[in-house]
Amino acid sequence: MQDSRFEFVTVDARVAEEIEAPSYSYWQSVSKQFFKKKSTVILLLLMVVIILVALIQPELSGYDPMNSPNINRPEMRFRGISLQYPYGTDGVGNSVWDVVWAGTRTSLLVGFIVACINTSIGVVVGAVWGFSKAIDKVMIEVFNIISSVPYILIVTVLLYTFGRGFWQLILAMCLTGWLSTAYFIRTQVMIIRDREYNLASSCLGTPMLRLVSRNILPYLLSVIMTNVSLEIPAAISTEVTLSFLGIGLNVAVPSLGRMINQYANYFNGYPHLFWAPVLTLALVTISLYVIGQTLADASDPRTHR
Amino acid sequence: MKGRDTILSIRDLEVTFKVRDRQLKAIRRISFDLYRGETLAIVGESGSGKSVLMKSLTGMLESNGTVSGGSIRFFGEELAQKKKPREWESIRGAKIATVFQDPMTSLNPVRTIGSQIVEVMMKHQRCSRKRAKQLAIELMERVGISEAAERFDAYPHEYSGGMRQRIVIAIALACRPQILICDEPTTALDVTVQAQILNLIKQLQQEEGFTTIYITHDLGVVANVADRVAVMYAGQIVEYGEVEEIFYESAHPYTWALLSSLPQLGQKGERLFSLHGTPPSLYHDIVGDAFAPRNQYAMRIDFEEEPPFFEITPTHYAKTWLCDPRVPFFKRPKAIEGLHQKMVMIYQGGNVSGNREERSFSFNSRS
Amino acid sequence: MRRYLIKRFLRSLLSIFIVMTIVFTLVYSVVPRDRVFFSDVNIEKLQKRPDDYLNYKYIQWEKLGYLKYETIQDYCRGLYGDANGEYVRCLLPDSSETKEFVSSKQEEGWEVSFFEESGQAYSFEEISPLKRALNWWANLIQIDSPNRVKSEEATLKRQIYVGKDFNDRLALMCSGCENKYLIYFDQKFPFIHQNIVKLNLGVSYPTYSGQEVLEVITSSQGEKVKQELKEPINGQEASSINYYTCRYKETLDALEKKNFSDHYADCDAIRTDPSMMKISFIMGFISLVLTYVIGLPLGVYMARHQGRWGDRLGQWYIIFMNAIPGLAYIVFIRFIGGKYFGLPSMFPMLGAEDPRSYILPILSLTLGATASRMMWMRRYMIDQSQMDYVKFARAKGLSEREIFSKHIFRNAIIPMVHGIPAAIIFCISGALITEGVYGIPGMGKILPDSISIYNNSMVVGLTFIFTTLSILSTFLGDWLLTKIDPRIRLEDKGGN
Repeated sequence: MQDSRFEFVTVDARVAEEIEAPSYSYWQSVSKQFFKKKSTVILLLLMVVIILVALIQPELSGYDPMNSPNINRPEMRFRGISLQYPYGTDGVGNSVWDVVWAGTRTSLLVGFIVACINTSIGVVVGAVWGFSKAIDKVMIEVFNIISSVPYILIVTVLLYTFGRGFWQLILAMCLTGWLSTAYFIRTQVMIIRDREYNLASSCLGTPMLRLVSRNILPYLLSVIMTNVSLEIPAAISTEVTLSFLGIGLNVAVPSLGRMINQYANYFNGYPHLFWAPVLTLALVTISLYVIGQTLADASDPRTHR
Repeated sequence: MKGRDTILSIRDLEVTFKVRDRQLKAIRRISFDLYRGETLAIVGESGSGKSVLMKSLTGMLESNGTVSGGSIRFFGEELAQKKKPREWESIRGAKIATVFQDPMTSLNPVRTIGSQIVEVMMKHQRCSRKRAKQLAIELMERVGISEAAERFDAYPHEYSGGMRQRIVIAIALACRPQILICDEPTTALDVTVQAQILNLIKQLQQEEGFTTIYITHDLGVVANVADRVAVMYAGQIVEYGEVEEIFYESAHPYTWALLSSLPQLGQKGERLFSLHGTPPSLYHDIVGDAFAPRNQYAMRIDFEEEPPFFEITPTHYAKTWLCDPRVPFFKRPKAIEGLHQKMVMIYQGGNVSGNREERSFSFNSRS
Repeated sequence: MRRYLIKRFLRSLLSIFIVMTIVFTLVYSVVPRDRVFFSDVNIEKLQKRPDDYLNYKYIQWEKLGYLKYETIQDYCRGLYGDANGEYVRCLLPDSSETKEFVSSKQEEGWEVSFFEESGQAYSFEEISPLKRALNWWANLIQIDSPNRVKSEEATLKRQIYVGKDFNDRLALMCSGCENKYLIYFDQKFPFIHQNIVKLNLGVSYPTYSGQEVLEVITSSQGEKVKQELKEPINGQEASSINYYTCRYKETLDALEKKNFSDHYADCDAIRTDPSMMKISFIMGFISLVLTYVIGLPLGVYMARHQGRWGDRLGQWYIIFMNAIPGLAYIVFIRFIGGKYFGLPSMFPMLGAEDPRSYILPILSLTLGATASRMMWMRRYMIDQSQMDYVKFARAKGLSEREIFSKHIFRNAIIPMVHGIPAAIIFCISGALITEGVYGIPGMGKILPDSISIYNNSMVVGLTFIFTTLSILSTFLGDWLLTKIDPRIRLEDKGGN
């Protein structure tokens, strides 16, 4: 008695070669992970709004810290909150709403410009640094010397020598600021460079340029993004602090730090003057930080579960 | 044969992992018994679930994995029901101990060797520190550390790999556990040290009378140490039996494939056997025999119905339709024909990493 | 080991040398030198007298080391002494001496010019920044010895001797040295003090004009206060003079002649408030201890209860403290503390003696720093908890508590300990923002203050102090690592 179910069959070997795993796309997973948190999405929207207003509003208001048109009109001073003056007016008759947005614009510009410059120089130098042993020998000494001096000290001394001003501040913050990014990238490049798949790839004769662009840069992308997103709030914070201490931006450039310093004097009578810049500042940096952190987490493939 | 005194009994065990919102069944209804004093080897390729099975015995599954069904009975205790880490404390180390693959990373680098042994003794045996130190030095000597008293206060980085694995074994055995799980205990070690470690475990087993479970994919180790062997594939045990039965009278095509790919069995000038394909995805239920797509002896029924365990001898079972009486005549693969003679030859020639005298004699005498 | 230490020491010196030379060159060549008069009150009085104005400027520049300066007055005084007819004639622009002065100075390569009103000659020579830097280094360490004082007085004995001080304690004293007391004991930490080796970081100007940089930050501040003397000096039983600091003074005025028996009459005063360094250190150290005592356990707690509400709460706290600029939350704390707890919102309101003055600043320092300790501790704990030895420890049957406290913690604390020396040492450097917000007269405030009034030597001096401390603390951190991590040795690898 022959059961037909017990006949031998030939199996297609290729079928068994397929590995089945849930379909996976890096960028899809990143965006899925990123948008999963409601709070982040809200903060992202908020950030977009803040950036737009900060870029547009100062153009419309024409606020200039060197020019206070209402300075001789006592009735304009310390006006309360109204529709026309959403944050009231300050001691020289300026609308605080205008001043806050002008200051926010400065802060955002400083943050973005410094982060961009530091990251681009840092990534380029760091990549070369990580690959070349000869450069590493020199650079590590330079790094050791400069990193032994506190960053805030370097910035203040540089600002002191260059004088106060927007571009001077940017220069002071960038002159050595890229070093830490470069060092970070260098270490990452060194780690990835010696990973087996890269050794294998270079053993197989992959040109260096291709190795960097195909194997290493994509991996670094998430690391770089994280770095940028953390550097922006840090740079904003540095600017605000220095301006608060009176050694950052000069009086011709609107700055939240200087505002906080000035308005702190009116604190007892007109606390809203003080809270306006402080809360705006906090809102900007928290949003940037949280967005950056979420982006960093989302771009780490290990979180894509 | 040793007495059939069951100390651990697993029934219909299921372990599920949650991966990217999907369920992965790593262990699919496994049942087996462990007998007191024996050495059981669990073999299978990577991903077959052998490590997961062992982790579920000590509650050490990764955080996204759970025992989703079945039972693990150990001295009247139901291990499958234990969820909290606290409940496991009296089991781990005290009754079931584990030796991991890599001795280089198993020890805490910033604490002395001695303190790491003493700690476990004080925890489970509740003895004083002084007494524990004395016992620890004795134990270190027993696992072959010379000048143990001087080396008691050394740090792991001052020990060689083999010595560290000896310490790991000492720690595992510090509280006289009933079961010792060895998860690839020699993979990370030099070939010369491997045999020493295997012998050490075997010698200690004879002295202490504990039960050992080896997890390995090295059939050389299996031949060397095991009393019984269980072959795992895709989250299931597909064949188990005494070591000779598995090596010489294996019935499952997957076991044949494993044995055929032993490099020691290769003939000069002949292409070594290699098994094509990859194990099936465990993300969804498998219909029929999991091995069917890679099986040279696949039958229609393999794709339709899951095979039951067929009893070949009272100690030897295989989960394949090939054992069904309705199967037409077929020839087993050439490579495993006369495996007996080959093995004897190899072991007497001393080709296999392992200990020649003991195992080869037992092969001869038993088969 | 010794070779490593020597090598490392030399490299550290080199680092400091390079940093200082760069800073020196930057500060003294890029910053316009007229800026040093930015907030000098004297200069305004001189505006109407162009000769005196110019003379004053050159004298200050000479003091600050920009140039060497010599006038015809100095030249004539050397020839004839002052206040006589010859001298007055000599000063005239058409005198033969003036011609000699001009030609000899021009020969030496000095620049010669004439004052606008009097027409008297003056000359100066620029000192290059590099040379200044070298000079600065050459004069950095000053060692006192009996031949130090250049005195015309023949009666001055030159000797070091052991004597009794005005408190009837033994002291190593000196005649002919710069300082009267070389080594002395008192009841203040560290109980034994010395005046032999001193760091000369330059002279502060225009604030704290004439004082040495190091003196500015280390001497007590505030009102003068009298202290009791055991052995009355000149019949006085209490005095606000700190006799231990007395230095040699060549010409004494009438009052000094009355008060002092010898020429060591240039003394510091005892004042009510601690020095800048001390204020910063007190606050920094208390907050540092609090930071570790609060931050580490919280970090461990968060790691143990990863993902639960305690951890989430902590993470939000960390996010807030990291994201909000220090300025914003410090001002907020000041507001809350001032309004609802009646604490002084400015340090000088109650002053350095009242402990309440310290509460808000310390709180401000602690809250931010705690967040970062928590963050790192949590991260290190979680990193370590994924290591194999933890798996093995678990397999040994240790409880989670034991695994965390005996295994993971021991490993996770290592990188945290590395930062402790740096943290302690940088207490001295003060907190830039906190001291700024509360108006605390400490080290953190002195740097921006010096910058906003163009106090060059202060900026350079402070840079030197901070850089040196920073390098020292890195070394101490590395050394401490070898004490708690048996795998690490100080060897000829890496480091700076």
